[in-house]
Amino acid sequence: MNPPGPLGVLEEKEEEHLSTPILGPSINSDNPQERIQARRLRIAARLEARRREALGEYLDGKKESEEDQSKSNKQKEESRLKLNKLLLCGTELVTNIQVATDVRELRRRVEEEEIRRQRLEKLENEVKTSQDKFDEITAKWEEGKQKRIPQDLWEMLNTQQVHCAGLIEDKNKLISELQQELKTKDDQYVKELKKQSDDICLLLERMEEQVKHVMKTFRQELNYIEKAFEVERQEMLASNKKKWERALQAHNAKELEYLMNRIKKIEDYEKQLNKQRVWDWEEYNMIKIKLEQDVQVLEQQLQQMKATYQLNQEKLEYNFQVLKKRDEESTVIKSQQKRKINRLHDALNNLRAKYNKQIKHFQEENQSLTSDYKRFVTQFKELQRAMRHFALVDDKQFREIWLMNEEEAKDLISRAFAVDRIIHTHHLGLPWTAPDFWFLRNVGPISQQPRKSAAQILEEVLMQADEEGTEEAASEAESYLDLPKQISPRTTRKILMLLCDESGFLIESKLLSLLLPLEKNECYLLRLDAIFSALGIESEDDLYKLVNFFLKYRVYHSPSGQEQTSLMSGQEPGEQIDLEEQEEESLVEGEPEEKEAPPSRRLIHPNDVLKILEAFVMGLKKPKDSQAPVKMKYVRDNLKDSEYWEALTTVIPDATQNLWDALYTALEKYHLVLTQRAKLLLENRSLEQQNTELQMLLQQYLDSKINSELQVPPTQVLRVPTQ
Amino acid sequence: MQETLATSTLLSVPSRSSISMQDKFSTAGQTSSAGPQPSRPSIIPPHNKSKGWNSGTKVHRMRRIIAEDPEWSLSTVPLLTELCIQHIVKNFHNNPILKQLLPEHQQKVLNHLSPALPLAVTANLIDDENYWRRCCEQRWPVCHVARHGGSWKRLFFERHLENLIKQFIPSTTDPAVILDLLPLCGNYVRGLRVDQFLPPVRLPPQPRSGELSDSGSEVEMEEPATDHYQLCDLVAGLSHLEELDLVYGVKDCGMNFEWNLFLFTYRDCHSLAATIKACHTLKIFRLTRSKVDDDKARILIRSLLDHPALEELDLSHNLIGDRGARAAAKLLSHSHLRVLNLANNQVRAPGAQSLAHALAHNTSLISLNLRLNCIEDEGGQALAHALQTNRCLTTLHLGGNELSEPTATLLSQVLAVNTTLTSINLSCNHIGLDGGKQLLEGMLENKTLLEFDLRLSDVAQESEYLIGQALCANREAARQRTLNPGHFMSPIIAKGPENLAG
Repeated sequence: MNPPGPLGVLEEKEEEHLSTPILGPSINSDNPQERIQARRLRIAARLEARRREALGEYLDGKKESEEDQSKSNKQKEESRLKLNKLLLCGTELVTNIQVATDVRELRRRVEEEEIRRQRLEKLENEVKTSQDKFDEITAKWEEGKQKRIPQDLWEMLNTQQVHCAGLIEDKNKLISELQQELKTKDDQYVKELKKQSDDICLLLERMEEQVKHVMKTFRQELNYIEKAFEVERQEMLASNKKKWERALQAHNAKELEYLMNRIKKIEDYEKQLNKQRVWDWEEYNMIKIKLEQDVQVLEQQLQQMKATYQLNQEKLEYNFQVLKKRDEESTVIKSQQKRKINRLHDALNNLRAKYNKQIKHFQEENQSLTSDYKRFVTQFKELQRAMRHFALVDDKQFREIWLMNEEEAKDLISRAFAVDRIIHTHHLGLPWTAPDFWFLRNVGPISQQPRKSAAQILEEVLMQADEEGTEEAASEAESYLDLPKQISPRTTRKILMLLCDESGFLIESKLLSLLLPLEKNECYLLRLDAIFSALGIESEDDLYKLVNFFLKYRVYHSPSGQEQTSLMSGQEPGEQIDLEEQEEESLVEGEPEEKEAPPSRRLIHPNDVLKILEAFVMGLKKPKDSQAPVKMKYVRDNLKDSEYWEALTTVIPDATQNLWDALYTALEKYHLVLTQRAKLLLENRSLEQQNTELQMLLQQYLDSKINSELQVPPTQVLRVPTQ
Repeated sequence: MQETLATSTLLSVPSRSSISMQDKFSTAGQTSSAGPQPSRPSIIPPHNKSKGWNSGTKVHRMRRIIAEDPEWSLSTVPLLTELCIQHIVKNFHNNPILKQLLPEHQQKVLNHLSPALPLAVTANLIDDENYWRRCCEQRWPVCHVARHGGSWKRLFFERHLENLIKQFIPSTTDPAVILDLLPLCGNYVRGLRVDQFLPPVRLPPQPRSGELSDSGSEVEMEEPATDHYQLCDLVAGLSHLEELDLVYGVKDCGMNFEWNLFLFTYRDCHSLAATIKACHTLKIFRLTRSKVDDDKARILIRSLLDHPALEELDLSHNLIGDRGARAAAKLLSHSHLRVLNLANNQVRAPGAQSLAHALAHNTSLISLNLRLNCIEDEGGQALAHALQTNRCLTTLHLGGNELSEPTATLLSQVLAVNTTLTSINLSCNHIGLDGGKQLLEGMLENKTLLEFDLRLSDVAQESEYLIGQALCANREAARQRTLNPGHFMSPIIAKGPENLAG
């Protein structure tokens, strides 16, 4: 069925495929080398491009080296590409047959389709026509059934037969046609089979060829690659050899150079050595001569030394002997000393022991004594406390007793006075005046005035000073009563002011700042207070002592400062006035000490104040120290007591007493008279009373009823007494 | 030989000869006893014994002394182990001793075993490849061990089984012939390639008039009687079966050709469907040149739906039409099929469209072969549209499908977009000059395609050449990618299916 044409076309096409597009390495190639060369160039170019693309631009040197290296690689790559192509082409060549058969089959199918369609059409037409004919025939059969005439029937049968025969003939024709077709198909099938076998043969042939060719080319390429490697190796060997030779030559040249250098150096060194040797030789000789001379000198010296040595030896021997003797002596002495030391040591030890014992003993003693002392102290303290207590109690008791006694005495005295007054007024008819005595006013035990503290005195002094300006004369007499006799308040004040000004350092800075806003006097007061507290002045006495000290100091140091005072007197008239006043005062007071002092008083220079203070403090300390522990309690002096009590007893004078005695005796007598008279009067009165009573009794008796009842009335009886 | 040597030495050196004699006797005794003896029998004791034993005969034999043999040595005497091994080999059929031996002795035994031993003895006992290789080479002149996973034993059993199936005549041959073999070969057979199924022989061979037209009607009538061998039992016994390659036909029928020899009956079809459905290890199923029409294809494919292991389905050279193609499309979306071959069938545009629809959303199919169908431009366009979304297909064969320019236009767009396709075959179509140009344009934008067959498709030579250049560049790029790590595709793998098809 397939015409031989398509295959030929296919073949041609195959050829085209093979030859044109891919430059296939087909078997029948004219000049393979040329083609290979061309391919290689192309492949190399492509490879280069790809490498550039892939790796980017590298340095030229690197690329070169890469190229050098990759000669064999290049060959490998080329071979690989070539072989790839070969395989591809080969498979294409082989599969071409399949493709061709496919195409053929396709065409056959198309044709077959067409033919089948035609055949079907034909058959359908045939069927239609035959059906028509058949219908006609069957219709005629119906017709024939109706026919009665045999001739007609026969005729009809004949025609039917003819028709049937025609139909059958048609069918047979169709069948024969189809059979014809079938036969042609069979033939075609046989042809196709032949063709297929041809194709298969071709396929086998091609495959074999392909295999052979591929094997050949593989071998060839392998050879090429091997050659390339070989060449590369040779090249490498050659280049390496060259390099090696070059290096060897260089090495030899260097070696030669070094050798020459070495020889030259050796010569130099030899020369130098010779020179050095000659020079050394000379030097050696010189040194030798010198040394020999030295040796001679030294030998001489040695001889001398030997002589001295001999001498010294003898001397030393002698000395040695002497020393030996001395040594012996010294050993003897040493042993003696040792013994002595031993003894002394013993003594020392004994003494030490004793000493220790003593110490222990004394310590114990000391301890016991201290404990005793402590005990005594506590006892003493207790005693003191008791004493103080008792003193207080005594004092109180004393005071109470005193008060009691005094009260009693006063009572008595007042009674005495009252009696005296009555006597005077009533009995004597004299006017009576109450006697006035100091002790009558006294209440309680006679005591001294309490001492004033320094501050109080200060205050007073200062206050006085203020007042002085206004009323001098009036106040002076009174105020000075309080002050001690020796010192005038003004002097005191002056001294105190001076002290206050000069010894500001004793005052605390805080206080100073506080003092600023205060009045001048108060300011002084406070300052002095602080100073005194710093100096340790507490009481009035201390203050006076201070003032006295000042005065005394001035007295002692006056001779030196006399001239100064004269100079200064002009400058300080106020002071002079003071002085005069002081003199007046001292006259008033009549104190001899004061009189002595004035002339030098003004000589106290502010600069001396400190010295004076220092001396005072030093002086004050001593008495204070001795006085302080004693701290004597105030002891009452009972001298005045007896005087007081004596005075109390003599309140009523003796004249009055005498008077009283005379009065007493006279009154006694008067009293006696009066008592007798009174006695008598009393007797009289009692008698009268008895009388009345008796009368009343009688009456009573008489008035009683019994009397009437009685046989004998008393009245009758009584009448007898009455009668 | 041994005898002569023994005598000669015996005459020369009595003591030695006695040893050899003794040795011989002892070996004889051993063989007669047939018990496994210690592998190295001591030689010294017989030597000591022999002196007394031989003393009497010495004088008598001295007269026949021949020259001393200088080449004699103890090594020429076969060792007892050798003899034992020989004996074991000789009696292997009755008393197979192999596992108890030392490895080197095992090797010796295996080297000397006859390939003709019954399989019942050897099948499960011998794993040695060399033995099976000898077996194979003795039976078949050509053996492609690579097609059987490189295992000679597997090859032997697979081919043996294939031969048995090929020679099986239903209702004549005893099915036990095959089923008896099952326990022996069940563990080794992984693939079955049967290219012949004999029909049952009609006992009364009817005299043929030779009219071929009758045969078709007869076939129609007698179809139920022409069932072939049922594979169910066999396949159920093969626990490792992965590949099944069947052709329902008769080879070398010659002038005895009858149409009914090549019938794939419905019963065959049903039983085969049940068989492959039950075989969960099956990976490759091929049923070619067997006149599978739409209905049979649908029966088969229905049984393959959701098959756990199936990867390749080959129904080429059959009579499958659009309905069968639709069934195949359904299978695509209900399995993990990687290769589908429907070459040389009668798939037309609707079938191709349904296939394209399935392909658009498929993620497993790698290769699709629709060679020698008639999908025409409609089907081609549908497939091209599908390829715009598909990200899996690498190989597509559309040779001989009456495609023309519109398909080429769409395919050129696909080429610009798709990055998974490596091989396209458009040979034997009517692409035309313009179509070729368009394809060239698409090809210039593509960097992954490695093969593009445009032979006999009316494309201008210039564009074909340029396409070839682009393919070369792509191949080089792919090679670079494979040289650099992290790439998976190589042109050789992509080439594989086509080579097989060719």
